[in-house]
Amino acid sequence: MITYVLLVLFAATFLVLIIKRDEIAIAAILFSFFSMCYMFLNPEITVFGFGGWSPPFGIVWVLDKLSVFLALLVTGVSSVIAVYSLKYIKERRHRYYTLLSLITIGLLGVSLTGDIFNLYVFFEILSVSSYALVAFFLDEGAIEGAFKYLMVGSVTSLFILIGISMLYGLTGTLNFADLASKISHSNPYMIALGLLVAGFSLKATIIPFHAWKPDAIEGTPAPIGAIFTSISTAIGVYGILRILFIFNLIQLNWVLISFGVITMLVGAFLALVQVNVKRMLAYSGISQIGYIIMVIGFGTLLGITSGLYHILNNALIKTLLFMGIGIGIYLTGKENLDEIGMKSTPLLICVGIGLLSLSGIPPLNGFVSKWLIFMASWEISPILTAIAIIASAITLAYSFKIFSSMFLTTKRIEVKIPKILFIPVVILTILCVLIGVFPQIGLNIIEPAANALLNQNQYITAVLGG
Amino acid sequence: MLEIYVGMVLVALIGMYCIVWKKNMIKKVIGLGIFTNSIHLLLIAIGFRAGGIPPIVTRVNANYLALQAVDPLPQALVLTSIVIQLSVTALALGIVTLAYRHMKTLDTERMNRLRG
Repeated sequence: MITYVLLVLFAATFLVLIIKRDEIAIAAILFSFFSMCYMFLNPEITVFGFGGWSPPFGIVWVLDKLSVFLALLVTGVSSVIAVYSLKYIKERRHRYYTLLSLITIGLLGVSLTGDIFNLYVFFEILSVSSYALVAFFLDEGAIEGAFKYLMVGSVTSLFILIGISMLYGLTGTLNFADLASKISHSNPYMIALGLLVAGFSLKATIIPFHAWKPDAIEGTPAPIGAIFTSISTAIGVYGILRILFIFNLIQLNWVLISFGVITMLVGAFLALVQVNVKRMLAYSGISQIGYIIMVIGFGTLLGITSGLYHILNNALIKTLLFMGIGIGIYLTGKENLDEIGMKSTPLLICVGIGLLSLSGIPPLNGFVSKWLIFMASWEISPILTAIAIIASAITLAYSFKIFSSMFLTTKRIEVKIPKILFIPVVILTILCVLIGVFPQIGLNIIEPAANALLNQNQYITAVLGG
Repeated sequence: MLEIYVGMVLVALIGMYCIVWKKNMIKKVIGLGIFTNSIHLLLIAIGFRAGGIPPIVTRVNANYLALQAVDPLPQALVLTSIVIQLSVTALALGIVTLAYRHMKTLDTERMNRLRG
């Protein structure tokens, strides 16, 4: 089954260029989404060995609850973006869809693989197609952003490679489960852990590794900005979580907590002073990742649950906002905050819901995960809760800045929104409200994932068989 | 064995120096290549065994092969990594070409965002 998903996506990558029909890529991405929905219904941990090799020797893909949750999220967001881009991208659309299917393959592979070198390969597929997509518009800003991202991204990917080679030298295996059963906590292992976590921090955009992101997003088309802030960062966080899971180190970790707090506050303050709307959303995404990293540092079940819930909500909200504001950019051709004003009640409602949800106003989905984050941080230290609430207040401030500059200024233009741009936005808005009103829907997906992360033995038994 | 590790660290430092301090975009790409190759050296060194035989199954005893042969897996990993590095370098040089067409310079000091 999973082999077919990969084959279909790879075939679509090349067929789009040969046959020149963009619908192939959309169909392939939607197919991967529906097959992930099907996989999600399976309660057991499923292990796929490629080429008929048994787990510790061959490459395996392991579909535990966490991986499938991530795969569902990335394919879902990719399919929404694929539909949206059909209208948004005006020129060289076939190349765009080739790169979009490649990025989906990368995201899917990283989230499902059970082999650490295979993870590196898919991570590089994801990275290389990201660099190419940053340079997609081929103007000055895009090229500078792409070169910066390429240099920083390649160096940190090489950190991951050094970490992998150290782990291989120390344990003689590349399989996650086998590694987990052989790892000890002596110094060389800790160096490898540090290198791997630093490598994934770049994709997750934790603050000392964030510098590429605003420049890259400023140059890209808005839907790709949505991928970078929502699911690409989610994959970075997943990488950190998986590495900590292998090392059995999901516990109270003040290093992660302090990085999270710094990311949260600095990201929010930097978002407040931006003029370009895409840069503002990029910094906002960095700030949201701060929350997630902070609660992951707690290592409690509530902390992990709230972190994963915030990954889901951040992905939905950021995609909604990038697409909604992307409609403004598409229609006006401008990106600065004081130039995208427009008269449109349906768009006002959708983007308004997204912004309120981003700042955590009940009864929307942003509130649910932020409430869980406040609860989790209260258990550790009330000071952290206070900091999180302050960052949340700053979020409200810049959300209002976007809203007022888009819908409340005097110089607004009359617009007619194309349907194909608007339908994905509406779908995401409905999802945001639905999860906000019935938080149990999200919890049913996330609680098994959080439990899977805390139960290392179950994973090892499922892969290696007793 | 120790010499190989020391050599790897030295080569990696040269690569890092090129990436961080050189102002020319092409020299930065070359630095990236040097850095990658240092890691390939590390991987090969991990699988290497002094006086080992090639990991090819011939008429020799399987136990003898397991005891004497060089570990083939890191070599496979290096091959994969070289292919990845090839695509990254090609993309980087493509971006450098486009940058030269737009800005008529390869000096990162003269560009807006790449400064520092």
